[in-house]
Amino acid sequence: MKKILSLICGVFLSVSVQAAEPSIMFINDLTDDIITNVLKSDDTQEEKFIRFKTAFENALDMKRIGRFVLGVYWKKATPEEQQAFLNAFIDFTTKTWADRFDLYTGQQIVFSGSRNAEGKSELYVDSTIENNPPVAVIWRLKQTKSGDFKIIDIIVEGVSMAMSYRNEYSAFLQKNGGKLPVLTQELEQKSADFKFSKK
Amino acid sequence: MKKYVFIVSACVTLLAGCACPPKDPEALRVYQETNDPLEPFNRGMFAFNMAVDNVVLEPVAKGYRAVTPEIARTGIKNFFKNLKQPVYFANAVFQLEGKQALSIAGRFFTNTLFGFFGFADTASEIDIPVYEPDFGQTLYVWGIKNGGPYLVLPVLGPSNPRDAIGWGADSLMAPLDWALKGEPVLLYSKFAVESFSKREGALEFLDSLEKGSTDFYATMRSMYRQNRKNKLENSNVIIGYDQVVKKKDYEFDFSMDEEFEEE
Repeated sequence: MKKILSLICGVFLSVSVQAAEPSIMFINDLTDDIITNVLKSDDTQEEKFIRFKTAFENALDMKRIGRFVLGVYWKKATPEEQQAFLNAFIDFTTKTWADRFDLYTGQQIVFSGSRNAEGKSELYVDSTIENNPPVAVIWRLKQTKSGDFKIIDIIVEGVSMAMSYRNEYSAFLQKNGGKLPVLTQELEQKSADFKFSKK
Repeated sequence: MKKYVFIVSACVTLLAGCACPPKDPEALRVYQETNDPLEPFNRGMFAFNMAVDNVVLEPVAKGYRAVTPEIARTGIKNFFKNLKQPVYFANAVFQLEGKQALSIAGRFFTNTLFGFFGFADTASEIDIPVYEPDFGQTLYVWGIKNGGPYLVLPVLGPSNPRDAIGWGADSLMAPLDWALKGEPVLLYSKFAVESFSKREGALEFLDSLEKGSTDFYATMRSMYRQNRKNKLENSNVIIGYDQVVKKKDYEFDFSMDEEFEEE
């Protein structure tokens, strides 16, 4: 009973905060869209994947993330190599994330507020996925000049997705003489071989 | 006794096996960022752990899932979590966190008395917050802010010298382990069932992490260290149901604007 009450309060809280904060509204719309049209959908995995990938590419600033993830290796690469990496990175990342759709069992997401990052046109949206134990998720956003939001990082229980990829890829590139095309090829290969897990 | 031997031997390896920092500036940056001077040793240990996992832990965890209903598995998970509460309580006291200690004690008594000896998580039903302070965290609070280099322990996995010692201290404090001291078969059975139960809960997660990684060792290292840092620095944040997350000193507050021209 108490759980139901707190859930109702949570929903009201998130609704009232949303009204004031466009950044929360942005994340709320995105998660709503993914929950309704992807996670709860009965369509085939392929159809859900295409929908997810579209939402993913619209919501995330993948160029900025890709550049951060590669660090110095981005600067050393040619524009063609950068673009090829971005394509492979987006393709493989969306596939591995889409592979986890089955883990969703109806959890709700509750927003607790948003804050500006000091001295930058960046903000954080704080949220919790209701689970046992609950999972803290922070959305790092960048606001463009036209006022739109783009996600530049997602931090789950203190683990930044961008930082994790950066550490992983820099380890991979170090082992492979710092050659970006080798990483791109590896991602393309893994993406081509990828099979969605069965439930 | 055995488990403390490897902690000591790991410390000896630490002293003996430190590699020199590289000279190349990019390699040096990565070297400092990952704080993993024992990487060759760690990678070896990681490969060993993966082999143990492939041969024993994962198949048994899958079998365990196949033969038990979910409600039983949740009960067993809850039971082991409940057994850890006295250890968390001691650490909350060591850290002078009165509110945490009260919550943990409340959780333990609620679940033991009204949750069939911990099989049901009644405490979560009535919204008692979850705190899980460990002795590694206690050492952090006491002033050992730098845990030392990354260290992969046999079977236990990612750690560092401070947290490895913390793990040893926590095991010494566990009341059931004391009670089972004269019964090695029961003690090891408890450890085994606890490990399989834990592994079962992470089957999909670890599987998809490995599937999505070009260097699983580096992925695990990065995620473990970020998550651990977050836990240490935000030990006062309630993992609760109605919390307002207020976190300071973001590890992830790194610049994402490295010489990026706005288009």
